[in-house]
Amino acid sequence: MLPSGVFNRRPQQDMAIIRTRAQWLLLAGGLVFLVTLGLYAPGHWMNWLILVGVYAIATLGMHIMTGLCGQFSMGQAAFMALGAYTTAYLGTRYGVSPWLTLPLSGLVAGLGGLVFGIPALRIKGFYLVLATIAAQFIIIWAIKQQTWLGGTYGIRDMDKLSIGGVEVAGATAEFWWLTLGLVVIMLFIAKNIQRTTTGRKFVAVRDNDLAAEVMGINLFRTKLLAFFIGCFFAGIAGWLWAHNLRAVQPELFSFQLSLWFLGMIIVGGVGSTSGAVMGAVAIMLVDKAGPSLSTAVQDAFPSLKYQVSGAVSLIMFAVVVIFFLLIEPKGLYHRLERIKLYYRLNPFAY
Amino acid sequence: MDAVLAQGFLNGGVYALIALGFILVFKSSGVLNLAHGQAVAVLSYFLYYMLVVWGLPAWLGIVLIIPLGAVLGVLMERLAVRPLLGQPFLSVLMMTLMVSFLLEGVRILFWGADSFTLPFTPRQGQGWLGTVLPDWINPSSALAFAVAMLVFVLLTLLFRYTKVGLSMRVVAADHEVAQSLGIREKRVFSISWALSGAFAAMCGILVGMVFTVTPIMGSTVLGKGLPVLLLGGLNSIPGAVVGGIIIGLAEALGSHWFSAAKEVVPWIVMLVILLIRPYGLFGEKRIERI
Repeated sequence: MLPSGVFNRRPQQDMAIIRTRAQWLLLAGGLVFLVTLGLYAPGHWMNWLILVGVYAIATLGMHIMTGLCGQFSMGQAAFMALGAYTTAYLGTRYGVSPWLTLPLSGLVAGLGGLVFGIPALRIKGFYLVLATIAAQFIIIWAIKQQTWLGGTYGIRDMDKLSIGGVEVAGATAEFWWLTLGLVVIMLFIAKNIQRTTTGRKFVAVRDNDLAAEVMGINLFRTKLLAFFIGCFFAGIAGWLWAHNLRAVQPELFSFQLSLWFLGMIIVGGVGSTSGAVMGAVAIMLVDKAGPSLSTAVQDAFPSLKYQVSGAVSLIMFAVVVIFFLLIEPKGLYHRLERIKLYYRLNPFAY
Repeated sequence: MDAVLAQGFLNGGVYALIALGFILVFKSSGVLNLAHGQAVAVLSYFLYYMLVVWGLPAWLGIVLIIPLGAVLGVLMERLAVRPLLGQPFLSVLMMTLMVSFLLEGVRILFWGADSFTLPFTPRQGQGWLGTVLPDWINPSSALAFAVAMLVFVLLTLLFRYTKVGLSMRVVAADHEVAQSLGIREKRVFSISWALSGAFAAMCGILVGMVFTVTPIMGSTVLGKGLPVLLLGGLNSIPGAVVGGIIIGLAEALGSHWFSAAKEVVPWIVMLVILLIRPYGLFGEKRIERI
């Protein structure tokens, strides 16, 4: 619902993502804030910001697969691993330029997604979830077996990224700007996929795939495309993470990380693009508070075992997601919309 | 080779037992309880705690842990799953996953990375069971297999002849029909979750004997149970037993020829079966209408 006094006079206005001048101003202000954040944020926050960016891209992929097309995946981290290993291996072994491996990483992850998405034609629900869990375990296991991928040790000492002679690596402002740029591009792509024929096909398949098929949508192609796009995003996220750490190892891409992505889209709101990013930020904010809480817990109960931080982060994540499932099942995005609506209609109730 | 096959066959019994815990809940409430693995782990850690720290005798520990498991099952149903009745399936699935995270977090807080062997584990050449069996059979696996078969028979009888079992099947088939027959659905859910919790405790004892109790126990249980479950079909009790034995044998043979493959063989078998028979070997094929 539009604010009072604002009308769509042309079809372009109705279609625009950013509709009003206030939204443009907010967007510009937000971007300026995020860009300048790179200049004064302390080191650990910089690390955090970059990680949020990486996770946000992977979560956007989950959003397209799960939120739009309804194909549940619990193997997103493994597809990230495919992307990360592609760039790490090609870069260290053959010296391929990282900018060339950026689309390649996405493609390799997307192809992996296609392979494991094939069962999706005939199965859904629990069965599909289990097939993607299988993808997670099989991919990570296969990576660990290959000596040329470094086994469990992984690949270390990747070359630093450089843009026009400027080195971009580690928790620096330059890397944050690169991350921010990628997130904005991927967000834009994801938002636009949602508005195209493909996106509407995805939604039709999600809501009722039999009905969608009767309407003439090619189910196999649509589901596979959703898997491809979702895993492509994961590959890009993997590329970014690999270049941030300049090393990859199988332990990074755990089953738990896949579940984190699922938690992020639930917290953000299933089926909303900006919700995916909000979910990533919210979950990571909670996670950021983990260490201080775990030291508090450790001080309070010194008899506890030594792995308190891991346990506390697990429990906090679980509590946040359970809270959203019970109290706010439509997620942060929905709550934001409600708040906006309230202020637009104020002082009337409807 | 005989020993490999025998071990695989017996392990299959344990896997079937794990899968039966999932099926029990799925058959009555249509929820895939992913917290089962961590429940098994927490219960067997607690059993160890009772036996070693409190110094209880083994039989008392076993007698106590099974009702405790049932209580845990009922608590999970009441606090986590029931508020989500009627919500989309992703929510319920995610909820059971988060419960499993909570349980794992609690387990890490109290027991960390400890691992141990349960004190009453039967050993080769010791005790009655260890001497009767030939030496290429692991006595704890044999015991676990026997218990799994017994439970399988009992469960089949439960679902076929008793009023509770029949009402569980009605609830799973159609909520409205169940209500119009005067079945109290919520009570049926509670009973099935309690049974599944007791199952988790039993799995904790048997899996703890066969594979020892380690921090990765929860994910092992999940990693073996889910492929078996899918292979047999989500709601078929004989399917779980056949699937368990197939997975056990496939895993034993796979790791015999290619030792690194032990952990992924179940998943690969499962994916192949999914491509050929999407609803498992014995699962009910759902007919969908628009």
